[in-house]
Amino acid sequence: MGNLTDTNKANKKFNKEIKSGTAALALLGVLSRATEPMYGYQIAKHIEASSNDVTLIKQGALYPVLRSLESSGLLESEVEPSISGPPRRYYSITEGGREALGEWAEIWTQTKDFVDAILEGANND
Amino acid sequence: MIESVDEYLALLKEELEASDPATIQDALSDAEEHLRTVLEIELELHDDLSESEALPPIIVKYGTPEETAQAYKEIEARIPPALAQQKDVSGRSAISRFFSVISEPRAWGALLYMFFSIIAGLIYFTWAITGLSLSMSLMILIIGIPFLILFLVSIRTIALVEGRIIEALLGVRMPRRSVFTPTRVGWWEQLKSLFLERRTWGGIAYMLVQLPLGILYFTIFSVLLALSLGFILVPVSELGFHSPLFVINNTAYHSPIWLMPFVVIAGFIIFLATMHLAKFIGRMHGSLAKSLLIGI
Repeated sequence: MGNLTDTNKANKKFNKEIKSGTAALALLGVLSRATEPMYGYQIAKHIEASSNDVTLIKQGALYPVLRSLESSGLLESEVEPSISGPPRRYYSITEGGREALGEWAEIWTQTKDFVDAILEGANND
Repeated sequence: MIESVDEYLALLKEELEASDPATIQDALSDAEEHLRTVLEIELELHDDLSESEALPPIIVKYGTPEETAQAYKEIEARIPPALAQQKDVSGRSAISRFFSVISEPRAWGALLYMFFSIIAGLIYFTWAITGLSLSMSLMILIIGIPFLILFLVSIRTIALVEGRIIEALLGVRMPRRSVFTPTRVGWWEQLKSLFLERRTWGGIAYMLVQLPLGILYFTIFSVLLALSLGFILVPVSELGFHSPLFVINNTAYHSPIWLMPFVVIAGFIIFLATMHLAKFIGRMHGSLAKSLLIGI
């Protein structure tokens, strides 16, 4: 029993750690392709549509990441009132954000290849 | 089972209880924006659904209040406000801590704020007094009421702007976006919340108190800066321009050469102490702003 909760905890922790960076990368990716500023729900919907129902990250967890990307200057945002609901914050990518995306994507590919190579190697043993 | 957006927000607020009030305000407005937007769309698609029926699947995708709170807490822990990155100084001696203030962006920011606050104080005070007295006196006529409402709405915007300035200069975390006022509820409810919320009256109190505080800050820091700069520049003024250190009863006193290095050093020390004082007062002012401008 104790063992099971420990594994669960470890899974959760790993999941959390791996998500924290990838969410930022994914958000930059979405916004770099957007032709006009997008608000939170649009971004969430876009991610949902392109991820084949694999919900790696809760929509609610995207917002703090958007905010943190904005505070580090990679995104910028503007609040616009909507007709019926609350005002919406529209995000768009900055020049710095595009640069960061290029570098992050490279780091991502390298990391992915590296981890894949190691895991495949482990399987062959 | 969570049956309404308001209930979700209340639970989220509870989960975030120990967090910074500014984080709470941000998290609540994000959640509100998302949930209400999706709910609107769902309700339009399915006429027969009620809010309590439509909400659960939306929350499953958005995350429970607990999960959402967790996400904000993690990010908040990683990203301190702009000038708040404080190096760990606990291991260093008191003397090196005293001198290292010169390289702290927060101390420079606070010093700048001390001079800025008098201008802001003047504008805020004038705005608040004009708004209050005009709406009170126009209250005899019916036009006083819309005037008062307009004035109270302006207070919220000013509070947000002042918060951004405080976060930038003093490094105290303040709300990064305005609080959402629901448009689904009637105008009467909105009016009531405008009058009843602590935030509105706290904002007015802050605007009034900013003037005396601004004057105080400005006076203290002008005197201290003038004093320290005067001391530091003693060799230039006395040797270069032959102006005396001070004049009493028409007798000019010059400082002897041997004293000058000490005067200059004293000037630097006063300057560093001034920066420490600015940092300290900045922190105090930040917590005052926090308690008055954030209405959670």
